[in-house]
Amino acid sequence: MTATLDRAAARRWMDAFAADFETQRVRLTELDRAAGDGDFGANLRSALGKVQQRLAADPQTARAVFAAVSDAFLDTGGTSGPLFGMWFRALSRALPETDPADVTQLAEGVREGTATVQRLGGAEVGDKTMVDAMVPAVAALTDATGTGPQQALTAAAEAAEAGAASTEDLVARRGRASYVGEVARGVLDPGALAVALFFRAGARALDG
Amino acid sequence: MSVKKFLNDPDDLVVEALEGLVTASAGRLRLHRDPLWLESAAADADRRVTLVSGGGSGHEPLHSGFVGPGMLDAAVPGAVFASPTALQVVAAVRGVDRGAGVLLIVKNYTGDVLNFQIAAEIAAEEGIEVETVLVDDDLASESDDGPGRRGTAATVVVEKVCGAAAARGLPLAEVAELGRRVAAGARSMAVALEGAVHPGEDVRSFDLAADEVEHGVGIHGERGIDRRPMAGAHELVGALTEPLVAALGLAEGDRAVVVVNGLGSTHLLELYVVFREVAALLEARGIGLARSLVGPYVTALDMAGASVTLVRADDELLGLWDDAVTTTALTWETR
Repeated sequence: MTATLDRAAARRWMDAFAADFETQRVRLTELDRAAGDGDFGANLRSALGKVQQRLAADPQTARAVFAAVSDAFLDTGGTSGPLFGMWFRALSRALPETDPADVTQLAEGVREGTATVQRLGGAEVGDKTMVDAMVPAVAALTDATGTGPQQALTAAAEAAEAGAASTEDLVARRGRASYVGEVARGVLDPGALAVALFFRAGARALDG
Repeated sequence: MSVKKFLNDPDDLVVEALEGLVTASAGRLRLHRDPLWLESAAADADRRVTLVSGGGSGHEPLHSGFVGPGMLDAAVPGAVFASPTALQVVAAVRGVDRGAGVLLIVKNYTGDVLNFQIAAEIAAEEGIEVETVLVDDDLASESDDGPGRRGTAATVVVEKVCGAAAARGLPLAEVAELGRRVAAGARSMAVALEGAVHPGEDVRSFDLAADEVEHGVGIHGERGIDRRPMAGAHELVGALTEPLVAALGLAEGDRAVVVVNGLGSTHLLELYVVFREVAALLEARGIGLARSLVGPYVTALDMAGASVTLVRADDELLGLWDDAVTTTALTWETR
C-alpha cells in the first residue's frame, strides 16, 4: 500500500529531502569546490532553511507545499537557487487545487519545470548541470503514468541517479564548472546529485 | 587582523547602510524588509512607467543613491557583490507598478540577469507589463563567446536618461528603447591602482606591486586584461580612452557624454586630472564634450582606480540628461 500524493506526503517528501541533503552536504560542497565556487552546499542549506520557515504556515495541499518551496528557493542567492525555484514553481502549478495529485500531473509539472530550467539556464543534457538528472527523470515519470506515485518516483529516482552519475565523465559547458574546463572531469555535478536526492526522498516518502 | 573599516557585524553591513541612507534622506526614501528593497517616497507627477534597478552591494552610490524623482523608483540591493534574489525584485516591481509597466535596468552579470529575468516572468504572469534594459558597457570583458561585456558605470547614464523619460510620462516601450540606445552607444574601461578589501577580510582581492596597475579591471575585484607598469596620468588615461573612441567609432564632429568614475578610494583631486586627460584627448580628435560627470558613482568597495565611460550623444538624449533629478547622489535643476 503506497500513499497518495497529498499535503502530508509532500511534507514528508520535503522533510526527507532536507534530511538526505544534510547527510550529503559536505560531499556536495566538496564537489562544488572541486569544479565550481564552493557555495552550492551553503546556498541549498539556506534555501531548505527558508523552506522550513515557509512550511510553518502549514499549506493545505501538495500544490501549496511546493509553492512555498518555490518561494523559498526564489528567495535564495546564487544561480542554482532561483533555477530550482522555477522548477518547483512549475511542479506546484501542475498539481491540482485539491489533493490528491496523480502521476500524470506530477510528470507534467516536472517536464514543465525542466523545460523552464533549460530555457533560463541554456543547458542541454551533457553540459554537466542539474539538467542531466532532470531530463531522465521526466522520461521516467512520463513512462510511469499508468502506475502509482511511489512506483513513479522510484523510477524517477533511478533515472535521475543514473543521470547524475553520467556527469562524472563530462566537461561542463554551462554553469560555474564551465569556467574550469578539464579540471571538472571526474567530479560529479552537485546540482544533478541534488535532483537525484530529491526524487529518492520522494520515493521513500510515498512508501506506505 | 581584518583591514580597518566602519563595521559592526559584517553580516549587517548592507542593511545598516540602507538604514543610515534612509534616515539621512529625511523622508525621501522608504526601506522595505523581507524582502529587502528601497523605494522613493517622492514621485514625479507625470510618471506612469516606473523604474527598478539593483544588483550587488559595494558599488554605492549605485543603485540606492539614484532612487528619487527624475531617476529610479526602486533599488534592489543584494549582498556585497552578489545579485539580489528574484523574490526581492518581484516585490519591488509589484510595489512600484502604477499600471503602465515597469522597466528593469540590469547590469550584465549571470546572477543579476537570471534573477531579474525570473522576476520579470513572474510579474508578467501577474499582469504587470515588464521590459528590461541590459547594460553591458565594459569593453575589457568583450569576447566572442561567454557571458559578454560586464555592466559598469554606463548604468548611471541609462538610469538618468530612462528616469527622465519616465518622468516626462513616456510609455514603457519608448523608455526602454531610449535605455537600449544609451547602452548600445556606451563603452567603459577601468584601471585599478590597488585591489579592494571585502568587509571583514584582511587581504585585497588582488595584490599589485608598487610599480604596476591592473588594466581593464571589473567592479568586483575581478582580474583585468593585464598587468601594466605604473605610468603618468596622461598615459594611463589614454590607454583607457582610446579603445573606447575606437569601439564606438567616434569621429570628428561626434559628441559624447563622459563619465570619469572613481572606483572607491581614489580622491576627487585625481579624478579631475583623469577627466582633464579625457577631455584633451577628445578635443584633439574633434569629438565634442557634450556633458560630463566626475566622481565616485559606481564603485568597487575601496578599490583605488578609475573608469572612463563614453556615451554617444544626440539632442534627444542630452535633453533627457538635462531634465531635473533629485536623488542622494545626483541632483540638479532642469538645465
